[in-house]
Amino acid sequence: MSAVEKQGEYQPEIVVLYCRNCLTPGIDPPSGVLAAGGIVAKYVPMPCSSKVEPSHLMKILERGADGVEVVGCPDGQCGFLDGNRRADKRVTRLRSLLAEIKLGEERLCMNRGTRLTSEALFALAQKRARAVAGLGPNPMKGVNR
Amino acid sequence: MIIAEWKPIPELVSMLKGHKSVLLVGCATCVAECAAGGEREVETLAPLLRMALKTEGVSVEIKRKTIERQCEWEFVEALAGEIEEVDAVLSIACGIGVQALSERFAHLPVYPGVNTTSLAIREQPGLWTARCAACGDCVLGETFGLCPVARCAKSLMNGPCGGTRHNGMCEVDENVECVWNLIYERAKARGELQKLYEVRRAKNWSNSAHGGPKRMLREDLRP
Ligand code: SF4
Ligand code: SF4
Repeated sequence: MSAVEKQGEYQPEIVVLYCRNCLTPGIDPPSGVLAAGGIVAKYVPMPCSSKVEPSHLMKILERGADGVEVVGCPDGQCGFLDGNRRADKRVTRLRSLLAEIKLGEERLCMNRGTRLTSEALFALAQKRARAVAGLGPNPMKGVNR
Repeated sequence: MIIAEWKPIPELVSMLKGHKSVLLVGCATCVAECAAGGEREVETLAPLLRMALKTEGVSVEIKRKTIERQCEWEFVEALAGEIEEVDAVLSIACGIGVQALSERFAHLPVYPGVNTTSLAIREQPGLWTARCAACGDCVLGETFGLCPVARCAKSLMNGPCGGTRHNGMCEVDENVECVWNLIYERAKARGELQKLYEVRRAKNWSNSAHGGPKRMLREDLRP
């Protein structure tokens, strides 16, 4: 049973795909699921934010996540030169497609950060949860494919 | 390559409404190169369509498959199994691919998922520009390797229209270089400006779309 079902009430599920290089050096990269403060955050560490593929982001939403937060390094600080800009451009295009299909562009967003703690990552998940609050649960939740 | 771009998703949704199960078919050749119809695009468009249909309250199963080329019968045949399980096809290949599928599987509607726009080159990452209009009587040998048919907004054959912008861009589209300016510059760089004064033979337009549908026959290759 998922954390969402256990609670018996809607808790936004936010998938956080983050670049490991955004973290404070030496901390354990958050992974797995953290249910707290009325949301469920699912962490996916990546070697660079440019690893996000449009198809992966769309599949995450198709499987019912309420929001997806991509976290990359600040502009000009990507360890792979411009990986974070590429990720940003993909996210921008996908947001316009999400608006076009009326699922809500706020379901996907990219933010930047450096020397982030696990608390700071969770705060980004909370920020996404607030942004999608007005949209209600993702209509794809529970749809069998 | 042949280039194409996705139709707006609401247009695709309206085509698919009323069907039970649809096969979304990609093509791994030209349209994959222009990031419109390859496997990656199938994998992105399928979830988008499922979500778009759901938000409209419509239930249509979207299956997916990408084949090497939709314009070759041998590759098209690979779809025969999957086709049995659906009641419509959405192809994101060029118009040739869409027509090949609808000819081979004529009992089903085959919808175009993209608009095929031109024969183009990838000029820069993320920028494709037209290079050829398949006019059937190539003049590149006389125009310093730059095509005035595909690249001049008016397909002028004898020089610029007079509206070229001072920065060398076309008067019709400020983002497109005036091809006649490019032809002039290349002729000048080669020291061959006088060639542009030469009277050229009349171009055979009857070999282009103006002459009706084209057909190419090679007896030596026929069975
Ligand atoms: S002249 Fe005709 S065949 Fe040659 S590049 Fe232009 S459109 Fe294509
Ligand atoms: S400005 Fe140049 S490319 Fe544009 S229509 Fe005139 S001649 Fe053609």
